[in-house]
Amino acid sequence: MPIEYEILTFSEWLLPSATRGGALLYFLSTFALLSFFGLLGWYVVAAYFQGPSEAFYSVAKVVYKAFSDDLPRFSLRRTLAMAQLTVMEAIRRKIIWAFVVFVLLLLFASLFLDGISDNPARIYLSIVLNSTYFLILLLAVVLSTFSLPNEIKNRTIYSLVTKPIRAGEIVLGKIVGFTLIGTMVLAVMCAVSYGFVVRGLNHSHVINAEDVERTGEGDSLAANGKSTSDARHHHKFTLDAKGYGRTEIAMGHWHEVEAVRDGDKIRYEIGPHEGLLVARVPKYGKLRFLDSQGRPGKGISVGSEWAYRSYVEGRTQAAAIWTFDGVTPDAFPKDRFPDGLPIEMNLRVFRTTKGDIVSPIIGEIIVVNPSDRAKIRRSETLTFPAREFVRSERTIPWQLKGVDAQGQVVDVDLLKDLVDPAGRLEIHIRCGQAAQYFGMAQPDLFLQAGETSFLENFAKGHISIWLQMVMVISLGVMFSTLLSGPVSLLAMFISFSFGYFSSFVTELFQGVFQGTDPVKTVVRNLFNIEEGTGLEGGGPLESIYRIFRQLNLSADLELGFAEKPIQYIDMTGMLVMRLLLQLFPDFSRFDNSDFVEYGFAVDPDLLLIQTVTALAFSASAALIGYFFLKTRELAA
Amino acid sequence: MSSPRPAAPTASAPAAAAAGASTASDVVIETRSLTKDYRDFWGRPKVRALKALDLEVRKGEIFGLLGPNGSGKSTTIKLLLGLLFPTSGHALVFGKGATDVGKNERIGYLPEESYLYKFLNAYETLDFYGRLFDMPAAVRKKRVEDLIQQVGLEKAKRRQLREYSKGMTRRVGLAQALINDPELLLLDEPTSGLDPLGTHEMKEKILQLKAQGKTIVMCSHLLADVQDVCDRVAILHQGELKELGRVDSLLAVKDVTQIRAKGFAKGLSSEAEAEIRAVIAKHGGSVDEISNPTTTLEELFLTTVQASDARPGRRAAEKK
Repeated sequence: MPIEYEILTFSEWLLPSATRGGALLYFLSTFALLSFFGLLGWYVVAAYFQGPSEAFYSVAKVVYKAFSDDLPRFSLRRTLAMAQLTVMEAIRRKIIWAFVVFVLLLLFASLFLDGISDNPARIYLSIVLNSTYFLILLLAVVLSTFSLPNEIKNRTIYSLVTKPIRAGEIVLGKIVGFTLIGTMVLAVMCAVSYGFVVRGLNHSHVINAEDVERTGEGDSLAANGKSTSDARHHHKFTLDAKGYGRTEIAMGHWHEVEAVRDGDKIRYEIGPHEGLLVARVPKYGKLRFLDSQGRPGKGISVGSEWAYRSYVEGRTQAAAIWTFDGVTPDAFPKDRFPDGLPIEMNLRVFRTTKGDIVSPIIGEIIVVNPSDRAKIRRSETLTFPAREFVRSERTIPWQLKGVDAQGQVVDVDLLKDLVDPAGRLEIHIRCGQAAQYFGMAQPDLFLQAGETSFLENFAKGHISIWLQMVMVISLGVMFSTLLSGPVSLLAMFISFSFGYFSSFVTELFQGVFQGTDPVKTVVRNLFNIEEGTGLEGGGPLESIYRIFRQLNLSADLELGFAEKPIQYIDMTGMLVMRLLLQLFPDFSRFDNSDFVEYGFAVDPDLLLIQTVTALAFSASAALIGYFFLKTRELAA
Repeated sequence: MSSPRPAAPTASAPAAAAAGASTASDVVIETRSLTKDYRDFWGRPKVRALKALDLEVRKGEIFGLLGPNGSGKSTTIKLLLGLLFPTSGHALVFGKGATDVGKNERIGYLPEESYLYKFLNAYETLDFYGRLFDMPAAVRKKRVEDLIQQVGLEKAKRRQLREYSKGMTRRVGLAQALINDPELLLLDEPTSGLDPLGTHEMKEKILQLKAQGKTIVMCSHLLADVQDVCDRVAILHQGELKELGRVDSLLAVKDVTQIRAKGFAKGLSSEAEAEIRAVIAKHGGSVDEISNPTTTLEELFLTTVQASDARPGRRAAEKK
């Protein structure tokens, strides 16, 4: 499961800590900055038209009125009337039906999908989630950006704003109305998608007696065999002496098989598919590193690689250590986990000597008891092959060899001997080959703790689409309070791509501010940019300049009288871009479809963080929309 | 474009005279040197639509804003409603700034064309606007039923407005303007696009509302309609106030006297006519014209239609 960012708990995320400012602080500072610059910009525009003193009076009056009049007189009845009107408009104008038809077409089209895959569930889920996501956001964008401009164009706004309805109630009513429409469509899509996925994956096999070869003697029902080929695959299976068994995995799933005596004949019954639609719950630990001398520290950076992971050097004391809480027999009952403790790893391998590039690098797993007074200190060293970009699932057996306090090798029970009384357990990962490195971050190793309901997880995947829809609607309504329909549509696409390319813009920004220039140093300190990060080759203007001068990206630029201004223009531009970026959410952070597609439960804390972020964003957009609508002339 | 009457040279004199008797609490609308420039994209003034307008409208009167197209009537109404912001000067409604949303509780507005939601039916339309006044459901239901009956749309109240004729839309427009039982009504071209029957009904309705003590401001270029209902009028031309005063005194022709007499079934006899001329000549006057009055086309139309309603299928003229 390729998540490549740290999942924080809600309180870690919200509150300030030593290493990060916390989301609350971030929200408050953004709000303060936005209010300040918003008011300033507004004043400047007003001063241009009305003169400085009159402008100050009018801006102050609107802000004062917002708190003295509009806020205390806010009416839920009016807001809901507006929301209901919005819903009725969408329904009566039959906008929705176009989309419903579109959805149906799309879903039926995907019935012709080629079904051969190692993980068909992922393909099915990916299709429904992506098409839902696409359609819902399109619906949200189109509805929200054109509604208010249409009211202004058709002048229905005249009859509206000459009633006691407040600008805030119009904006909020529109947002709530569109959200209701979107929610209805999304709920329908969710239900249709669920049915589509379940039906699409549903199949059954039959086992014909002639395909089974009995291997046991006498009363034993032990046998080998294979099922019929249905839905383009078949399964081989082995039964034990009692006649029970499970098939081999084909196309990502297996079936339970049972031999039943029927008179003097034997019938073979095969159950429904299992393991396709799952929602595994990963259990994450806390990661720390030992450096190559075995001292606590950070892992090392291997240079111009992505800084997210830290690396440990092979054949040294360096190790990555995960500490897991709550590893108790209750959490991992042996009837559900018969083989051992299931872990999943997603390590990066960094080779400094390539040699035989095909063979994997050997890694080492050691399970350690965190308690100093434990009789058994650690398990034996288990080795595993590590390949680049491959996630691997392993099981650490319950019964294994270990080393006790005296250094003797003894038999140990994982849960009894290697877990401390507080239920904690450490897993150490080392790289087993000299001059090679393993790169790891906290989410890269976790315990597969269990499963939750797939339906619930499927719904959670749709909640993240819903959150993005609400953000898009708020943003669309905000733009449409100021701009005409097509222009707000354009503004929507620009801000959406801003959110989409945010990581690229960030890296470009970091790259532009590398160097010894004092201004660059100030900005670097302000934005916590580490030296040596970001993209090489400068900003947009510098890149063009480099193309004409035929300078490659890493060549140093001689800073003459032409180059200096170019860099300063780039720096200003990128600073503005970076600040704008602050205002638009990174939509990819709201995308939980990967979790659902790969069969992992969506982390509840992550969902809560996304919800709070989305609501904070939408509320800000609504507030800005309120001021826009309040201060513009609605008649032309 | 020319003014229908020769424009009076000054506007301030009649305004000051008309304002004489009123007290501050009586004033419903007040504008002080209200000016509006329309601007282009860059904010440069393009057209001055209204030049330093001073007006006062007092409680209980019907005030007419007259003028040719583009004279600033609609601009004035939009400024009073807060749909436009003044470039300079002030517009006060009930003593509050025109951009204050609170004033909307007490006013009703009938736009030039009824800009209503075409996908709603009459009942839903009125119910929606009622909710905007924060009316509780029970009050709203009663008020909506009542208004639908008043404007005569019971049969069509469940049809979407997109199917309505112009006259029906106008009625719904009037009903929505009355939903909050307003003290002040702003009517933008209330009779435009209506047939004579509809016009007549609208004028009756306006007089009824005046009788209920409401203040009404209407703008129109249909002069006959204005003359029939308005107490006072202001004439605007090219954004400037040209004339302001009571309709009866503005229209009175002081040096001509009109006498109407009844009771002569065959018309006035020639002896009687000669006697009358003699009397007038004796007092130093002269008779311009002695004739039978003609009725207006409007009255003829109304009696014809009413008669046809009473006896369908026959030409009204045949009844004699």
